[in-house]
Amino acid sequence: MVEANAVGFAFEASAVNAWLVWILPFVAALIVPAVGKFSMRATGWVAIGFAAASALCAATMFSGALEAKEIHDQVNWISTIGIKAGVLADPLAVIMANVVGWISFLIMVYSTGYMKGDKDIVRFWFWMMFFIGSMQLIVLSDNLLMMFFGWEGVGLASYALIGFWYRDKDKDHVGVKGRTVLGLTEYYSPTHSGMKAFIMTKVGDIMMLAGMFLIFAFAGTFGFRELLHDTAWASSMQAQGLLVPAAVLLFGGAIGKSAQFPLNEWLLEAMTGPTAVSALIHAATMVKAGVFLVARLGPLFFALGAAGFLVDDFFMVIAWVGAITALLLATQGMVNSEIKKVLAYSTGSQIGYMMMALGVAGLSHQFVDGYTAGFFHLTSHAMFKASLFMAAGSLLHTVGSRFMTDMGGLRKHMRKTYAFMWAAGLGLMGAPFITTGFWSKDAIFGAVYESGNVWALPLFAIAVLTAVITAFYTTRMIGMVFFGDKSKHIEHMEKEGHHMHEAPLSMWVPYGILAALTIGIGVVGLTAEHGIHELFTEYLGHTFGIEAAHETAEDNGLPPFLAGINPVALIASISAFSIGIGLGYVFYIGRFVDPVKFVNSNIFFYALHKVMLNRWYLNAIVYWCFVVAPLWIARGVWRYFERTVIDTGMNIGLEKAVGWGAKVVQQTQTGITQSYLYVFGAGILFVVLFLFI
Amino acid sequence: MIEITSTPIILIAILGTIGMALPVISVLRKEKGSNSFYGIIAFAALIVSIGYVAYEIVTNQIPPAAVFSGDVLSNDSFSGLFAIAMLIVAILTTAGSFNFMRGQSHPPVYYSLILLSTIGMVLVAYSTDLVMLFVAWELMSIPTYVLAGFLKKNPSSNEAALKYFLFGAVSSAIIIYGISIVYGLTGTTNIGGVMTGLAQLDPSMMPLALLAVGMFIAGFGFKMGLVPFHMWLPDTYEGAPPTITALLAAGTKKAGFAAALRVIIMGTIALNLDWTLALGVIAVMTMTVGNIAAIMQKNISRMLAYSSIGHAGYILIGLAVAPYTELGIQGTLFHVLNHSVMKGAAFIAIAGIVTTLGVTNIDKLKGLGRKMPIISIGLVVSLLALAGVPPTAGFWSKLILFGAALDTGVPSWAAWLAIAGVLNSALSVAYYGWIIRKMYFEGETEKRIAEPKAIVGVMVFAVIFLVAIGVYPDPIIEFTQNAVPVLGTSLIISK
Repeated sequence: MVEANAVGFAFEASAVNAWLVWILPFVAALIVPAVGKFSMRATGWVAIGFAAASALCAATMFSGALEAKEIHDQVNWISTIGIKAGVLADPLAVIMANVVGWISFLIMVYSTGYMKGDKDIVRFWFWMMFFIGSMQLIVLSDNLLMMFFGWEGVGLASYALIGFWYRDKDKDHVGVKGRTVLGLTEYYSPTHSGMKAFIMTKVGDIMMLAGMFLIFAFAGTFGFRELLHDTAWASSMQAQGLLVPAAVLLFGGAIGKSAQFPLNEWLLEAMTGPTAVSALIHAATMVKAGVFLVARLGPLFFALGAAGFLVDDFFMVIAWVGAITALLLATQGMVNSEIKKVLAYSTGSQIGYMMMALGVAGLSHQFVDGYTAGFFHLTSHAMFKASLFMAAGSLLHTVGSRFMTDMGGLRKHMRKTYAFMWAAGLGLMGAPFITTGFWSKDAIFGAVYESGNVWALPLFAIAVLTAVITAFYTTRMIGMVFFGDKSKHIEHMEKEGHHMHEAPLSMWVPYGILAALTIGIGVVGLTAEHGIHELFTEYLGHTFGIEAAHETAEDNGLPPFLAGINPVALIASISAFSIGIGLGYVFYIGRFVDPVKFVNSNIFFYALHKVMLNRWYLNAIVYWCFVVAPLWIARGVWRYFERTVIDTGMNIGLEKAVGWGAKVVQQTQTGITQSYLYVFGAGILFVVLFLFI
Repeated sequence: MIEITSTPIILIAILGTIGMALPVISVLRKEKGSNSFYGIIAFAALIVSIGYVAYEIVTNQIPPAAVFSGDVLSNDSFSGLFAIAMLIVAILTTAGSFNFMRGQSHPPVYYSLILLSTIGMVLVAYSTDLVMLFVAWELMSIPTYVLAGFLKKNPSSNEAALKYFLFGAVSSAIIIYGISIVYGLTGTTNIGGVMTGLAQLDPSMMPLALLAVGMFIAGFGFKMGLVPFHMWLPDTYEGAPPTITALLAAGTKKAGFAAALRVIIMGTIALNLDWTLALGVIAVMTMTVGNIAAIMQKNISRMLAYSSIGHAGYILIGLAVAPYTELGIQGTLFHVLNHSVMKGAAFIAIAGIVTTLGVTNIDKLKGLGRKMPIISIGLVVSLLALAGVPPTAGFWSKLILFGAALDTGVPSWAAWLAIAGVLNSALSVAYYGWIIRKMYFEGETEKRIAEPKAIVGVMVFAVIFLVAIGVYPDPIIEFTQNAVPVLGTSLIISK
């Protein structure tokens, strides 16, 4: 059954499109191994084709979504427990599905160039398609249970792809070989990283599962719309003090999947995967799944709050987790020398922004502002971060090293990559007026500042500080790679005949497109933002009953093309950008001050730098507490308990008992037919007598 | 009489004609046709039949479970489900036999007997008259006696057939005895008539009625492999050709359940007995004996034979709680359908292994996962489904069966059925896991051997069937819900 909204005229896309968006990639995953038996090259075409088809299906739903309509189609799944499966293509889901779909398509194209010649390419395509299907399943599910299946699917694909180069060659590791922090190594192999990512996100997943089932126990349903329509479950949960804990448990899943504090450490090691994987999974899509979950649940809980339930703590947790993550990871990005790690830190930090915006939205009177800001930043970040990662992949290919200290002076040899990285980098920094990153980050600043919440100012300060650091490390990255003299590593390579050259067409076109989009949408940025704002206002009002508290102020003394923007936020954005890029220029582009001398110039800077480089010791602490200590306990248990009690006592005892039982039964099977018939007759007597009783 | 165009009659027509025509054709061709020729004809006939039944069901031409009419045969969803299950088994057996029959003599007889036995199996489910039931029962059994001993020169095959035949003869005699008592008490052999007759029975005649019920339980219980009527089963399943074991384990056993459902439950309901406890005790004994004996087995056919006994126990749980909850018979029907495919596919896989490698000892299965990958996957999925691992179909049917034992309204002893079921399922994972371990985790790198194509087809079908239902069980669950009311309404009301 397709429920169209009250307006009533049919739109182009039907429910089938919504189902196809997530089913098609799974079909592709099934086909790819079979195709691979005939032709390796054809697998690439299959992957690109299906990714395009899936993205097209998502695109057909776009026009309907712009009019704030939704498609909600369900089928019976397990009718004995009353669970249905369904797709919910409301504006939120449709926009996200398109972001995921089209960026995935571009990255598939990029992968044909990046993974060229790899022997395991069939496995790569299989897991990439499996991932895209699972991600779209998360986006389009209409209930928490189906979404959880997709959630686990992306986790599995992420594990498989992070550990893709499972032979653990030295060049595929991350970290500096031989370096230790608090006595533990920080040099990790692909297989270790895959396991780390899987287990850390699992912690989040278990919390999410607990939250889901808590709600199911009271509500009897997993469906998002069903939970909204009948809120009796919320009253019973609140009466037992379980409403906010369940919500926070659900958010736990988002923390894990989106690499927020305190489950953020896995994202760094995830860089052992091929860069195409990093671009797709750990920049543009999977890590956004947590934000998407919050975006799904946010309006539901805000509506509950408006109806009188006490949900403020939930949003408070979200906002602060986001803020802490944003600042924490940005500081670490300032000092690291591996290019993919800088981008990974940046991703985690930007997601912190999104979480902060969504959390603050729930604490303010004007929910739609923060909601729009957070989601808009999600889409713009997906674009420029994917572009940056893909460009980094080109650099990795050309230079043959993941360390920025091995690069330098590349702007003469890789002009296109240089231009595109500047464009996308400006987006990340929030260069005023011309990049989509500016408009989205400014929207977040505005939403936080105007939220009217008691914590608004501290959060705002953290946001601005993080923006300064973001601009700084981005400029640093571009400076270290493209400016300055050639590194010894490059000189060595050129002596051996490997010259620095631009990336092939299949690689630079995708990130070129995204970089151009960053600027292109930036130019019409404010209109885009207003458009999304209106769309969400209508969507939230219609579906959740969340009305805007006030119209955005039109007259704020600024020129007309900046209508509706908070002036304080605007000034903050522009200043943060200028300070950051200025400092970056001084240190890394103009090279007026030597950064190494600067850091070593006094003990305070030196110590601060060391702490940041050692990941605030958080990674080491996590390993001590959750890896080294449990292993030590496990070894003790094994030595003193398992070998004695279980191995000798229980195992041998059980084995003998069951074996004896089996022998007894076996011995009744004498093989002599007459004895069988005797038993048969005895059986009849027994049954008849029993019936008489 | 029944309409000439109703499903059972059409099935008889198709399968009977082809079944009887095959030997005639072979005589006419002076036995020159290749062995697969007859197999293909039989296969085609079965595909047409199952297509017809499926078409009827999907287009809703079959009434959902009509009750017991005055006719001899009734065409309803209950019978439809069994028909589908039996025909699937027959198709699996026929497909699995292409390779097995290469080099054997008398192929037309073989396939013809399979078809005739299938008619019998299907008609058992459609019967609403005791005599018709008995005729169908014999039609089903007698060809299988011959088929079990098909390998004339193999002493174990002969032994298997002889034991099977002796038991079969004794149980047929007992069934006829039960029928005659019932006829004497009620004056009719129509099952509906028997129900009403027994309901109005003079209490002084009650012992005779009880005797009749006991006879039926024993007689049908032999085919189902219930303890203590199971003694023939391991020897027969081990000695008979593996493809025929598939037919026995998956086909005739289910026919036993179909008969049990129609006769025993109806009869004992009408008598208002507390027979459910007896069935419960038998169920627990059956499960336990089956699973414990299976653990120490070294021959894979024998191990799966004991496993079949165990599963008969699970299916009986559903029957034991049938009067108290609708889920009981639903679970039974669902597990019947699943078990047909699971066991059938497992034995066909063994047939493939036996014909290509000639080994039946589990130890010799080392490295099979690399030697014969597709058959191994088929076998693994079937074994996991038998163990009840999600997301295979076996998980859902066991869930419904054990859930039925714990449903509201069942007496307190039923909880023991669920506990026994769960413990036994856990135990069964031990020996299934042992086979899987031998196949995949032991043995050095083996070279790949060509696998018989027909059996590969069977494996692919089984895997798709089991996993698809495992992921999306709802259509089948709805189908079984439709099939239940036959027995359900009259069951629960009169209690």
